[in-house]
Amino acid sequence: MIIADSSLLPTVIDWLKGPLYAALATSAFSILFGLHSIDIALASAGAAVGWATFLAMQATAAPAFAAFVAALAAGLYSEIVGWSRARPATVYMIASIIPLVPGGGMYFTMLASFEGDPMKMTELGMATIMTAAAIAAGLAIANAFGRIIFAALVHPMLQRTRKQ
Amino acid sequence: MEAMQPEDLLLFAADAARLMLESGGETYRAEDAAMGIIASQGGAEAECFATSTGLMLSYTGEDGKVRSVVRRVKKRGMNLEKVSRIHALVEALQADRIGLAAAMNELDGIERMRERPALVLTLASAFGAAFFALLFGGSLADAIAAIFLGALLSFLIRGFQRLKFPEFLTSLAGGAITALASLALRSLGAPINPDTLIIGVIMLLVPGVAITNAIRDIIAGDLVAGIARGADALITAASISAGAGAAFAIWKLLGAGGLR
Repeated sequence: MIIADSSLLPTVIDWLKGPLYAALATSAFSILFGLHSIDIALASAGAAVGWATFLAMQATAAPAFAAFVAALAAGLYSEIVGWSRARPATVYMIASIIPLVPGGGMYFTMLASFEGDPMKMTELGMATIMTAAAIAAGLAIANAFGRIIFAALVHPMLQRTRKQ
Repeated sequence: MEAMQPEDLLLFAADAARLMLESGGETYRAEDAAMGIIASQGGAEAECFATSTGLMLSYTGEDGKVRSVVRRVKKRGMNLEKVSRIHALVEALQADRIGLAAAMNELDGIERMRERPALVLTLASAFGAAFFALLFGGSLADAIAAIFLGALLSFLIRGFQRLKFPEFLTSLAGGAITALASLALRSLGAPINPDTLIIGVIMLLVPGVAITNAIRDIIAGDLVAGIARGADALITAASISAGAGAAFAIWKLLGAGGLR
């Protein structure tokens, strides 16, 4: 049975396009950040999770809050992957937040200041700082959740020493 | 095997923390690595204070003498594989799965880990730029242009690094060349959107991860380290924008195409 509604397919493709591009961009950056083999794929999947969450939240929430929830999702994903691969979660976190992170915001803020537009600079600058802080907060909370869950899951005898 | 001197342990722990910072590890992780190594070898009262530009480490040995060392951090790169391997090394030491001498060898190996070949890095930069251009709503033409500009920028970055130019100049030149090349392509008739193209390519330089890590450091309580990282990110962003802004101004001055 093929999907009856033919208008659904373009919508689905549109939906998948963003996370796909985010994952591909992240896989390229993961190589620049020194990741190897399967870690590249895992980090890229994390970026797709984060970006899909961001797109879903963006429709209803403020950008900074959407970034917060997206970072939370990417962070939880990274905690799980990091735990199952016995690696620090931060390895996957840093890679999977690459599309979310306000690099463009930093650039446009400074560009506005060079173009002599203090109002625009303040506006963009605030949005940039808010986004960065929201992502950092999302990751910190994901990390706390990860520690609680894995501390409960793992038997004390087998427990790895997990730093924050 | 000869007995390890307390000084050797101190230097080893400091080097592990330094390498962690140079590879883009969080500040608390570098501090924990140094203190964890010393604690695993029976050292008491280890204290480490790290920022993104250097670290201090001191500890009281079994003989009651206080030893300390300072390490400067000059490189600030990003190599997550190194972070992960140093972390694993410290865990292995703490679990007594590896001896100190073997751990020192291992750290040496991690430090000398070869970078990927230049071709791979260039291709990764090229496609990273292209997919970011697409992610920011660019067309196929933007992506194809981003492939070439990304590769060009990657060459430029590595060339400047080899010449040991300050990071400020790399960012400045990177921003200027990306902007100039995009505007030139546009006026040559390529069907591109310069804004999308520029932001896609410039993602290779832009300190988005750095500013986020700065705030993560501050949240974790490493206030000095976080402020330092934030200042670094701010200067990098300012120099990229100065380069691009100068390119826009020059372009306008030349009156070419009347684009902006």
